[in-house]
Amino acid sequence: MDVLIDNADVFVSGFWLTLQLCVLSATGALLIGTIVAAMRISPVPSLRWAGATYVTLVRNLPLTIVFFLTSFGLPELGSNADFLRVPGLSSVFDRLGIDLPYFRFAVIALSVYTAAFVCEAIRSGVNAVPAGQAEAARSLGLTFRQNLLSIVLPQAWRAAIVPLGSVIIAMIKNSALAGAFGVTGELFSSGQNLTSSGGNPIIPVFIGISIGYLIMTVPLGIFIDRVENRRAVAR
Amino acid sequence: MRLKRFAALAAVSVLAFGAAACGGEDPGTTPTTSKFEAGTTMEKLSTAGKITIGTKFDQPGFGLKGLDGKPAGFDVEIGKIIAAELGISADKINWIATPSAVREEVLEKGDADVVIATYTINDKRKQRIDFAGPYYVAGQHLMVRSDDSSITGPDSFKDGAKKVCSVQGSTPATNIEKFLKDKATQLVLFDVYTKCVDALKNKQVDAVTTDNVILLGYVSQSNGAYKLTGSKFTDEPYGIGVKKGDAKFRAFINDLLEKIYADGRYAKAWTDTAGKFDANVPTGPAVNRY
Amino acid sequence: MSHEPLIVLDAVNKWFGDLHVLRDVNLTVERGEVVVVIGPSGSGKSTLCRAVNRLETINSGSIRFDGKELPAEGRALAKLRSEVGMVFQSFNLFAHKSILDNVTLAPIKVRGESKASARARGMQLLERVGIANQANKLPAQLSGGQQQRAAIARALAMQPKAMLFDEPTSALDPEMVGEVLDVMTSLAKEGMTMIVVTHEMGFARAAADRVVFMADGQLVEQAPPAEFFGDPKSERARDFLSKVLSH
Repeated sequence: MDVLIDNADVFVSGFWLTLQLCVLSATGALLIGTIVAAMRISPVPSLRWAGATYVTLVRNLPLTIVFFLTSFGLPELGSNADFLRVPGLSSVFDRLGIDLPYFRFAVIALSVYTAAFVCEAIRSGVNAVPAGQAEAARSLGLTFRQNLLSIVLPQAWRAAIVPLGSVIIAMIKNSALAGAFGVTGELFSSGQNLTSSGGNPIIPVFIGISIGYLIMTVPLGIFIDRVENRRAVAR
Repeated sequence: MRLKRFAALAAVSVLAFGAAACGGEDPGTTPTTSKFEAGTTMEKLSTAGKITIGTKFDQPGFGLKGLDGKPAGFDVEIGKIIAAELGISADKINWIATPSAVREEVLEKGDADVVIATYTINDKRKQRIDFAGPYYVAGQHLMVRSDDSSITGPDSFKDGAKKVCSVQGSTPATNIEKFLKDKATQLVLFDVYTKCVDALKNKQVDAVTTDNVILLGYVSQSNGAYKLTGSKFTDEPYGIGVKKGDAKFRAFINDLLEKIYADGRYAKAWTDTAGKFDANVPTGPAVNRY
Repeated sequence: MSHEPLIVLDAVNKWFGDLHVLRDVNLTVERGEVVVVIGPSGSGKSTLCRAVNRLETINSGSIRFDGKELPAEGRALAKLRSEVGMVFQSFNLFAHKSILDNVTLAPIKVRGESKASARARGMQLLERVGIANQANKLPAQLSGGQQQRAAIARALAMQPKAMLFDEPTSALDPEMVGEVLDVMTSLAKEGMTMIVVTHEMGFARAAADRVVFMADGQLVEQAPPAEFFGDPKSERARDFLSKVLSH
């Protein structure tokens, strides 16, 4: 177990980078997923079709392929995902603004992939909102957008919080793949580095990596349980 | 790569299990006399008539699993020579894939008798296993686009502008770090080198670094798109991993290496395999009998 | 234009698949008139009510509101709906918003009214329906009768030209029916144009200007309440009344 203490800096910096990746990707996934969910339930057939196609395509591809498409497809198209180099954000998320695009590619891959699952979680939440809620809003003269934003989605979120939690936890675990796509120093690959290049024993190193992921996922799970309990009390 | 490793681990355990099962019911091959001292690994292996060797299955020139399902390469040839010296024919060798992360583990657990897998000798590893050899000194090199003359060696990264790619968890990745101004902005790691080569092509990175042998494989496939630049800037002595403390087996392999340096088998093993990428036959490095 | 009746249904037909739920329905509602629609379950009276603000689309015929054909969709439809208050059987209060927020939401979002004035008016409306003291509670914390009164206040907050009531008391416990009907009766007295689908014959007698009897998707008979209840013309109406009034 000395490995963990001797290499604490490696674990801490790996954890920090993975945390950044996950916070950004979760935000992106929730945004994109909500938009796609809105498309899927919109009254406009072409939007519904586009939303359904997105989910069908992305959800049914292995994440590795999505990573491939962003990490090697985007450069092929001449994009370094520079639109993610948001000045304010880059000062907090230090990898976002650098020349190397792989952190941005990983954020896109994880966001785009996870968004398909977020969309379905939200859609199941929307389905859990009684039809009368949207009908009442319509009868008051709210537009589709107002109806969605003020009435349906806020309630759908509550019903979707548990499946959404599972989706985000799965995303955190999926982020381990980023190390294989150019995100140097991410938690999982840092650990791997300690074993294969550093020659440290596998088991304690992987226990260290596991602790890193658990620090992110367990509190999230507890938070979601609490939100769910509070919701149960409110009913 | 992760998947590959898990698959490899699974394969290792299946193979080991299979080998053990077969060993129990193997009749008749027990010679009454052995030329090896009783109780040594050599005696045990030659008596059993079979050996399990770990090598890379994905390293062109050294250990690459072919379409016939058998690995081929310089490491594999060395393995065959060791087996032959123990009186074990090539078809009695049980090859298992040992990607970098599992090499110590398979020796410690006894899943492999020797590991010959582009295995750089270092002190950290020596705490867990022992090395015979070295039998080859590789060196870390830089591969760049052929039209790029701005990189002349690892020092070209010190100003923080140029970007370099390698594989996660590899010694070359650790080595190049000390030449970088900022690891976060200059170092790109993938799980396999092919992705690095792609990133080099797309100009996301300016160089790929790892052992010369691996790079030569890509140079030879690139139709002149890439070249090596500067010279080798590390010595990576490749050793043969054996179980920790098995001094007699280690001495046996060291003796054998010295023998094949002299009798031409070493050179033949090279020219038949890695020599296709690098025609310079290496001189066998002095073995280290620590 | 103000001479024209507020709501005019002309030869309206609607099918749910093979089921012909509205058959050539013609109905005119004058400004300030209170029309109570009664009839057996499945007679199409709810569908009729919901068609007036296009919560149900129709297959043929036309519906005019305030001199204009109902818009098919989009902002124009939203605007029309904002002028027609609707009260549902199951209240449909926004479950995640307080009672006052339920009442002020549409004035603020749809009419762009200031928060302060919407709240002030919202409180007046809650006062009027007798639940001002519940303003900050969530719908689930209120009784059914209170919820339905809140729903009426919510609809009134848009200052609608007409109110549609789709079986507003059917989901209520019997002891709460009265408090809702009282609110509706007072609305009727103040001259609100109303279409009320209900099984409450007492309300029909007391508050309706006209009773419309529907069966099998058809408008079978319509008459002032005294006439309808005293001397129903059609066999179907007599049969129906004998069943509902016998106990």
